[in-house]
Amino acid sequence: MQYTLTQQARQRRRRENLVGYAFMLPSLLFFLGFVIFPMGMALVTSFTDYSMTTFGFVGLSNYIRAFKDAVFIKSLGNTLVIVLVSVPLVTLFSLWVASAVYKSSQFTSSLIRIIFYLPIVTGTVAVTVVWKWMFNNYYGLLNYVFKSLGIISSNINWLGNPATALWCIITILFTTSIGQPIVLYISALANVDPSLVEAGEVDGANHMQVFWKIKWPQIMPTTLYILVITTINSFQCFALIQLLTSGGPNNATNTIMYNIYYHAYKLNEYGYGNAMGILLALLIAIFSFFQFRLAKSDNE
Amino acid sequence: MKKTLALLLAAVMLLSLSAVSLAEEKVAITMWTYPIGAWKDADTVNGIVAAFNEKYPNISVSVEYLDYQSGDDQVTGAIEAGTTPDIIMEGPERLVSNWGAKGKMVDLADLWTEEALKDISAVSEAVVAACQLDGKYYEYPLCMTTHTMAINYEAFEKADALKYLDQDTRTWTTENFELAMKALKDSGVAHTGIVYCGGQGGDQGTRALAMNLYSASFTNPEHTEYTMNSEAGIKGLQKLQDMVNEGLLTADPGIVAGDELQLFANGTANMSLAWNAANAANYASQAQFTPYAMAFPSDDGVPELAGGIWGFGIFNNNDEKRIAAAKEFIKFVSDDPVQGPKSVFATGFFPVRASFGDIYTGTEKEANKEFSVFMPYLGDYYSVTPNWPVQRTEWWNLLQRIFAGGDVKAEVETYINNVNVK
Amino acid sequence: MQTTVQRITPYRVLSYVMLFILAVIFTFPLYWIVTGSFKDAQAINAPAPVWFPTNPITTNYARLMERPAISWLLNTLFICGMAMLLICITATMAGYAIAKKRFACRALIFSIFVMAMALPKQVILIPLLKEISFLGLHNTLWAVIFPTVGWPFGVFLMKQFSENIPGSILEATRIDGAGEVQTFIQIVLPMVAPGIGALAIFTFISAWNDYFLQLLMLNTARTYTISVGIAKLQDEMFTDFGLIMAGAALAAIPIVVVFLMFQRFFTRGITMGAVKG
Repeated sequence: MQYTLTQQARQRRRRENLVGYAFMLPSLLFFLGFVIFPMGMALVTSFTDYSMTTFGFVGLSNYIRAFKDAVFIKSLGNTLVIVLVSVPLVTLFSLWVASAVYKSSQFTSSLIRIIFYLPIVTGTVAVTVVWKWMFNNYYGLLNYVFKSLGIISSNINWLGNPATALWCIITILFTTSIGQPIVLYISALANVDPSLVEAGEVDGANHMQVFWKIKWPQIMPTTLYILVITTINSFQCFALIQLLTSGGPNNATNTIMYNIYYHAYKLNEYGYGNAMGILLALLIAIFSFFQFRLAKSDNE
Repeated sequence: MKKTLALLLAAVMLLSLSAVSLAEEKVAITMWTYPIGAWKDADTVNGIVAAFNEKYPNISVSVEYLDYQSGDDQVTGAIEAGTTPDIIMEGPERLVSNWGAKGKMVDLADLWTEEALKDISAVSEAVVAACQLDGKYYEYPLCMTTHTMAINYEAFEKADALKYLDQDTRTWTTENFELAMKALKDSGVAHTGIVYCGGQGGDQGTRALAMNLYSASFTNPEHTEYTMNSEAGIKGLQKLQDMVNEGLLTADPGIVAGDELQLFANGTANMSLAWNAANAANYASQAQFTPYAMAFPSDDGVPELAGGIWGFGIFNNNDEKRIAAAKEFIKFVSDDPVQGPKSVFATGFFPVRASFGDIYTGTEKEANKEFSVFMPYLGDYYSVTPNWPVQRTEWWNLLQRIFAGGDVKAEVETYINNVNVK
Repeated sequence: MQTTVQRITPYRVLSYVMLFILAVIFTFPLYWIVTGSFKDAQAINAPAPVWFPTNPITTNYARLMERPAISWLLNTLFICGMAMLLICITATMAGYAIAKKRFACRALIFSIFVMAMALPKQVILIPLLKEISFLGLHNTLWAVIFPTVGWPFGVFLMKQFSENIPGSILEATRIDGAGEVQTFIQIVLPMVAPGIGALAIFTFISAWNDYFLQLLMLNTARTYTISVGIAKLQDEMFTDFGLIMAGAALAAIPIVVVFLMFQRFFTRGITMGAVKG
């Protein structure tokens, strides 16, 4: 009896393995072929002086160079500001919008989803062209509106001023990252088991208690997904900077991603660019690790 | 290694000898062009290719159009993927000092015949110098221009500032430039001119301004070192900082030349630092005033203008047939006495060959002649100095620091430290 | 009547006012682009905003059509459609497996997937470029599709959605004697349908906007996508805003349509109560 049980268990485990990997196979093929393999190459080249003309092992010197590079340090700081501001803002705001409308009619909730998704579907290049005009120092919409309302007396050079430029970037980043979380939260909230909510209400829980005690744990996987995705997107903020400020003024909007792009594609220092990329990946991994931890402890 | 080289050489010679066999065999080549005048329009370029095919029916040319925003990234990608085009059309800072220096280009020495060398030298020795590196020619030039500034003629007239400029030679002295800016400001103009420094677009304009104010040189004559830390260089940058502080000029770290031109065209700014024949044509329909081209102000009244030299290079794709065919195309487009001037005409700039003479009189581009007056002021072509891409970024960063109130001398030293190869 | 009046609390009013203001801000860029595409050069570059094209023109679109904008659109549709299809299949399978199958190295594989997302795409592009060109795929649409399908976002999302499938349902199905494939198709797929809908849209849109990958992988006007094509309408010294706006409007319309089509799937809730009753 004992013998057959372990055999059964072993058989079962073998079956799980077989089935599991069979389901994983198509995805793994693409993942290993087009992500992991080039990623491995990127990791290897981060220890070389790889450029258009050279390829030699240089040990850790790319990494050491990064920490001595004042522009990299500055861009690291800017990147952290962007992440620390935009991740909580995007998550909380999208949760607020979703909870305000998820019970509304099909029409309203569709409308809200579409409106907040518009900046993404419109395309980064096009949206940036419009925002660039809005922030324009001389005839931009923002100065025009604020001056007519009497909020400011003279034009502000939004993108040309180190004190405001990063906030402009964060604003645009916000409008282009909020759509996906709202869509996800609306469907997650709509999928919360209604019998649990009812049970809570019967027990006399108020609105807030129902939300935090019943709904919040249920939408945790969605929250975790949103946190991780938003963190990664904020860390990898690049196109806006390339199109609007080239990292200026005075490196006030330089981010790690822009730095990577500049060194790898403008100066063809692939090795150095990749080393910064690995550092960025480590940073994101640390952030994600804590987010997973947070989510886990919250769930318990 | 030597053996293969010898074999290769023999093959090249054989191929060039048997031009007849080339004419019989079909060859397909590709060309990428940066937007140089009408060379960005498919209609124009198709016409040029058609003219070429009348003479060389066996060489088919397919063309792709690059832009300055993404073109460099695309070429980088093509180099790494091994899918570079045969011919590429741009200027020496890319063809010679970037891809040429990295060993990606073919030496075009055989296109530079004695006749061509003489004809081009007659226009400018600087062009010949700019197209080569270490004795190898990586560019065969087609056309050139000088980058100038422009003023809003009516606004200057209204401010009674025209008296500060020499309308015959289109030049002004630094002193008169300052007086003109004062007059403009006093006439109630909000922005005389805008010193843009939000990126590298059109940076030749801000460089030319800073250099010319006190006749500084941007690099040493050998093009090995950047030299804006000279006394004249620092003085020029200091003057700019002072003028901005006095409100005689506007500094804007939020815009680049493209934005500045827009502001000039719609009347917000009264000068542009990024003018040339192509921009004059582009903005002609928008401007409600007369954009009047001027040289950059200079203390001695003799400006040294930055030039643009555009022409062709060939990527080394290790296919002798295609290289030979590409050379035929370049020769036809640039040297043919009938096609050559037409090719230049399409750019809107000026021929690098003296024998082409005046190509604009009596044509719809007659207005371009306005710029021929600047040709004698064409200065040294310094954009081939090592570390050029780094220098471009450091330059607008330097301006941003200076206009944020930084100490000019210290900031220039930082800049020089960052750009010169140690 | 009484009940509706009661529901209007100050908080709700405030919420809706705020939502309305934000909706205006979020809609404005598209409004400006669409109206801008009908403006002439004078109006679009005017120092004071021209809120509406007073004498609309269509030449911007005519000029856009002179370039092969339609073939850019078709290329993009093919890339996005194909990537969407492949990723929905592979990611749904993989997400389900990671969430519900106890196979060896499961946690490790999932961590690698998450770690991989952290690495900036730019860093892998040069090696990827070499690989793609080695495979002879450079300058084909597959050069963009395959790396998009490999990107692990989808697996992560579908794993999160599959977490919610109650194990008891799967167990019940197994006891009923259903095979793995049957269970997946009949039980799992309907339950993660909202996830697939979301994944389809996200993939479609991110593939649509993945400008940099497309720029490096595609070399000829024949293979360009709409984002690359539009980016190329910008000139260093002269920006033809009318043309860019027309291109942007043309690029936005198909996605809005796709969005409208797929967003119906989102609210079709996961039938969590199925075994409870």
